[in-house]
Amino acid sequence: MRKVRSDKSRRLVDIVYRTLFQQVPFNVAVIDRDHNVVDANDNFARRFGDWRGKKCYNLYKKLHRPCDECPSAQVFEDGNVVVADSVGIDQNGKETHYVGHVAPIRMEEGGPVEYVMEMTRTVTGTRSWQQEYQILFDRVPCYITVIDRDFRILRANEAFRQTFGDKPNQHCYEVYKRRKSKCPNCPAARTFRDGQVHHSQQVGTKKSGEKAHYVLSTSPLARGEKEVAHIIEISTDITETKKLEKEIVAAERLAAVGQTVAGLAHSIKNILMGLEGGMYITRKALKRDDKEMLAQGWEMLERNFDKTTSLVKDFLSFSKGRLPELQMVNPNDLVHEIIGLYKDIAESIGVILTEDIDPKVKEAPLDPKGIHTCLTNLVSNAIDACQMSEKKDCRVRISTKDTRSTLTFTVVDDGCGIDHDIKNRIFTTFFTTKGGKGTGLGLLTTRKIVQEHGGKISVSSKKGEGTKFTMAFPRKRLQALFKDNIA
Amino acid sequence: MSEPDIKTILVVDDEADVRNYLSMALTDAGFNVITASDGFDALKQVKKHNPDLISLDLVMPKRSGIKFYRDMVKNKEWEKIPIIIVTGHARDDLGKSDLKELTMSGPGIYLEKPIKPNNYVGAIKQLLEMDTTEDEQEAAEQVELQNELKNIIDDANPETLKKLREMMNKKK
Repeated sequence: MRKVRSDKSRRLVDIVYRTLFQQVPFNVAVIDRDHNVVDANDNFARRFGDWRGKKCYNLYKKLHRPCDECPSAQVFEDGNVVVADSVGIDQNGKETHYVGHVAPIRMEEGGPVEYVMEMTRTVTGTRSWQQEYQILFDRVPCYITVIDRDFRILRANEAFRQTFGDKPNQHCYEVYKRRKSKCPNCPAARTFRDGQVHHSQQVGTKKSGEKAHYVLSTSPLARGEKEVAHIIEISTDITETKKLEKEIVAAERLAAVGQTVAGLAHSIKNILMGLEGGMYITRKALKRDDKEMLAQGWEMLERNFDKTTSLVKDFLSFSKGRLPELQMVNPNDLVHEIIGLYKDIAESIGVILTEDIDPKVKEAPLDPKGIHTCLTNLVSNAIDACQMSEKKDCRVRISTKDTRSTLTFTVVDDGCGIDHDIKNRIFTTFFTTKGGKGTGLGLLTTRKIVQEHGGKISVSSKKGEGTKFTMAFPRKRLQALFKDNIA
Repeated sequence: MSEPDIKTILVVDDEADVRNYLSMALTDAGFNVITASDGFDALKQVKKHNPDLISLDLVMPKRSGIKFYRDMVKNKEWEKIPIIIVTGHARDDLGKSDLKELTMSGPGIYLEKPIKPNNYVGAIKQLLEMDTTEDEQEAAEQVELQNELKNIIDDANPETLKKLREMMNKKK
């Protein structure tokens, strides 16, 4: 009875092992010292074909002699398990990547290795993904490096190696910037400190010696680590973009010069027309000996002479790049001044000029002359807009407002409003719609003065309903300029 | 009332000096002159005086020359009144497109500021098909030639322009 039971249990063991041998998700083959495959499971047969009477190298790699680096030979020699990565060819002739686990089989405990069992797992899918990622890593049009806490480059992609040189294990600052020490404000150091992604713009030196402008982002390689061990640095080259930007700026500047010259030519043409007229009338008057006419002609000459002078003055003051002469003034006082200056003129032509000042406005460092010019320009424009309107009793209102961060002057009128297409051009070009009356420099000069104060000027307008100009000065910038001014 | 053979010219310009100058030059040449300082004012004067010719500035406050011109062509009677454009903006962005509209469908003659009295009077007389003095004739012909050439050049294709340049180079 005992014998029967032991036969049964041995059979069970056999079946279990056989099942395991067949069902294990590996290609399993048993190989003797002469590379003959003496047994193999169905997985193996499905992958590499009928194995009976064949050599392992022929099955795995379609070779006719043993492989140069045979893992089995090593196991036969030292009896230790070997794990190896290999590339073979399956029975359909397809390249197959697999990881092999080669274990010794001894017929007796402590005896010699008589067979080896090769358990291989196909990793072709994984490998091709890896290859794709490698290609992506190398070919992506960015510079990618992985650096350690010592700022040494562990890996770099092709784009990086081609641009900055293939220098593994060197410090990133040496390769990117040819520096001997860490860069100030190093974004990687910040990422090491806080584990966050940081972006910055950098200028480095290519291996060709050219400057490279790039936008760099540094992020931890692994997420959720307590301490960031590695950082991945990805940078996009913007050298070309920078070049284009420069070209665009140069082109715009040239266009602006062109427009300015055209505007200047127009102003001069108008003055010449006046002078031409003055000369004509003077000549006639002399011929006719008409003193009244002579006076008229002479006045015309004088007027146009004055216009030339003021045009040149305006032009010079516009072209001068200067720092505003800041002093502490009450912005409301500047408004009172303008009201005093324009109230009578406005009233005489039926325009109501009012002020709406914020009594809480505090003193501010401003260039009183500059702000005076701005307000003068805006108010005289507003009065002109009222005159051009068909409405009666138009109003112009100057107001001030002071929030904690910004000081604001506003000039609002309910005059004729500005055409949409003209609105887009008022600050950008030397521009006038006032015919002979304007030089086209008023708003341009105003914007310049506002910008010199670190402020911004904006406009909103509705045709036929009115216009609002706002000059906003951030207090912080005024203070910073004031400090510079005193220094 | 002006005499029937005395032509009435409406001078439209926002600048008083220019109006005075052009008026005087025209008065001296025997025209009856009325003036306006913008497009609105000009329309009132047209209604009131029905001028024989209008001398028009383009860029003016309140109502520009081109808007006034559009008002004019809406009326069948006024549409026939010849217009001569006197502008400083012939070659810049502010006037170029307006001028194109005017010379393509409209009066077709423009003078660029600054202008000499002879050129001005001559061009006006020419438009009104009046007798001109020798100087005016010469000046008017010159203006006409310049305008004609400008129109030819504007309409010409690049090939014609090349030929024209070759011809001019040969003459040199």
